[in-house]
Amino acid sequence: MTALAALLLRDMRLAVRVGGGALMGVLFFLLVVTMVPFGVGPDLKLLARIGPAILWIGALLATLLGLDRLLAADHDDGSLDLILMGHAPLELAVAAKALAHWLTTGLPLVIAAPLFGIFLNIDGSAIGIVALTLLVGTPALTFIGLIGAALAVALERGGLLLPVLVLPLTVPVLIFGIAAGDAAILNAAPFGAPFLILIALTLTSVVIGPVAAAAVLRHGLD
Amino acid sequence: MTRRQRRLFLIGTGVGVLAIAAALVLTALRDSIVFFNSPTDLVQKRVEPGTRIRLGGLVKTGSVIRGGNLGVRFAVTDGNKEIAVAYTGALPDLFREGQGVVAEGALDGAGLFRADTILAKHDENYMPKEVADALKRQGHWKDGYGAAAAGSAR
Amino acid sequence: MEWIALANPSRFLALAERLLPWLAAATALAFAAGLYAAFFVAPEDYQQGATVRIIFIHVPGAWLGMLGWAIMSVAALGTLVWRHPLADVALKTAAPIGAAFTFVCLVTGALWGRPMWGTYWVWDARLTSVLVLFLMYLGLIALWRAIEDPARAARAAAVLTLVGAVNLPIIKFSVDWWSTLHQPASVFRVGGSTIHPAILAPLLVMALAFTLLFATLYVSAMRNEILRRRVRTLRLLQVHAAQGA
Repeated sequence: MTALAALLLRDMRLAVRVGGGALMGVLFFLLVVTMVPFGVGPDLKLLARIGPAILWIGALLATLLGLDRLLAADHDDGSLDLILMGHAPLELAVAAKALAHWLTTGLPLVIAAPLFGIFLNIDGSAIGIVALTLLVGTPALTFIGLIGAALAVALERGGLLLPVLVLPLTVPVLIFGIAAGDAAILNAAPFGAPFLILIALTLTSVVIGPVAAAAVLRHGLD
Repeated sequence: MTRRQRRLFLIGTGVGVLAIAAALVLTALRDSIVFFNSPTDLVQKRVEPGTRIRLGGLVKTGSVIRGGNLGVRFAVTDGNKEIAVAYTGALPDLFREGQGVVAEGALDGAGLFRADTILAKHDENYMPKEVADALKRQGHWKDGYGAAAAGSAR
Repeated sequence: MEWIALANPSRFLALAERLLPWLAAATALAFAAGLYAAFFVAPEDYQQGATVRIIFIHVPGAWLGMLGWAIMSVAALGTLVWRHPLADVALKTAAPIGAAFTFVCLVTGALWGRPMWGTYWVWDARLTSVLVLFLMYLGLIALWRAIEDPARAARAAAVLTLVGAVNLPIIKFSVDWWSTLHQPASVFRVGGSTIHPAILAPLLVMALAFTLLFATLYVSAMRNEILRRRVRTLRLLQVHAAQGA
C-alpha cells in the first residue's frame, strides 16, 4: 500500500513541478474553449446550446494529449522497470499513476469548467451540472487513455497514433456525458439515465483500463 | 496477505465494481434513452417552444394534408396523445399514413411542431407485396405490420 | 490429421494451398446463385419496392464485419495465452478484411437510408456503434503498421482487440436497448425471423456467399502473411550472415 501511495505522490509532484504538465492541460482546455466561438461565430444562443459539447470535447482532448508520456517517460528513465519488478501488483501501480494523472490534469479541468462555461454563455445552474458530469466522466477518459499510454511504451513513438486508437473507445463516455450535460440546457432531455450510465462507464474503465494497460506492459516489453 | 490472497482480492474487487456498473446500466435502461420523444413525452415534459427536439410516433391515418410547394401537414400520434406537424420539403419513400416517422424541429407558440427534417422509420417486417395483400384480404393482417415503431414509440 | 497440427504454419500453408481453389470456386458459385436470386427471384417488398435488394449486401456485410472482430478476439486470446505465431497471423490479417466488410455495410446502409429514411446518416445507437467498429479496425491496422517487431505488435494489438470486443454486444443489442431509427433485428430474434421466406432465402444464400468470400480472402491473406514473415526472417538471416563474414 505504501509503495502505491509513494508512487501516487511522486507522480503528482513530478506533474506540479518544473517540466510537469499539470497546468498545461487547463491551458490547452482554455484555448480550445476560446477557439470554438471563432469557428462558430458570434451567436450566443448557439454557443449556449453547444456549450456542454465544447467543454466535453476540450476536456477529452486535454486529457488524451498529455497521456502519451504517462508511462513512456518512466520507460525512458528506467523507473518503469522498477515498477514492473516491484511487489505491488502492476495493475494497481498503473492505476495509481492514472489516478495521479487525473488529480493533476482531470480535476483542474473540472474546477476550471464553470469558469470557462461563462465564456460559452452557459448559465449558473447549468454550469454546475455540466461540471458534475465532467467530474464523474473525466476519470473514465483518463483510465481508457491509460491503455493508450501503455501502447505508447510498446510503440516507442506516440504522436497521432495514440488518439487514433483511444478516441473510438471514448465515444460512449462522450455520448452519455454530453447527453447528461444537455439535460441542464434543454429541459426535454432526461438527466438520470445518461448520468447513471456515465457512472457505470467510469467504474468499468477504472477496472478494464489498468488490467489492459498492465497486460500491454507485461507482454509488450520483453 | 499472501500473494495468492491478494490476487483473489484484486480480482474480486474488479468483478464487484463491474457488477455495480452493470446494475447501474440496467437501472438506467428502465428509464430508456431515446433517439426521439413520443407525443406523450412532449406533453408531459412541457417542452418550451423553440427547443430543438426529435418527435417520433405514427403518422395518424387520414391526417395528411398536402399543400402547395411541397408543404405538408399531418398529426403524429402514439395512440395516446397527438401533435400536429408542419413540414416543407421532399418526404422519404416510406412516409405514409400509419407508418412510423421521426420529425426534427421545434414547437412554435401555438403548439404546432415545425419540422425541418422528416425521417421515416422502417419496421423489421419484410414481405412481398402479394403476401401483404393476401394477409390483408384474409384478415390476418396484424396491427404490428406497417405500423413501424409502434412498440418503441411508446 | 489432428486439429492441433494445423497450428503449425507449414501444415497450414499446405492445407491452404489445397483448400484455396475449392474455396474460390465455391465463392463464385454461391455469388452467382445469390446475385441471381437477389435480382431476379426475390420479390419486391410491399413497402420498400426494389430498394429491399440492398439488404442482400448490407446485412451479410454487417454480419461479417462483426464476425471479423469476433475471430480477432479468439486469435487475440491465442496470442496472449499461448503466444502462438499463427494466432498472431490470424489476428493481423483479419483486420483489413473485417474493415472492408464493415465499410460495405456502412456504404450500402447509407444508400438504403437516403430513399427510405430520408437521410444518408443519423447518429442513432446502431449506426454510431458500427462506425466505432470501423474506426477501431482502422486504429488497429494503424497500430500494426507502427510497430516493427511483429511479435510485439501482435501482443499490443491483442489487448486492444479484446478491449474493443465490448463493442460487439453493443452493436447487436443497440436496436433493442435504445429506440433507434434503425429497425430491430429481423433474422436472429426470439420468435423467428420476420422476413418472408421469399426474401429470406436469397438473403441467406448471399450471407453464405459473403462468408465464403471472407474465408477465401482470409485464408489467402494468412498464407501471404506467413510467406511475408518467412521472407523477412530470411532477409534478416542474410544480413546477419553478411555482417558475420
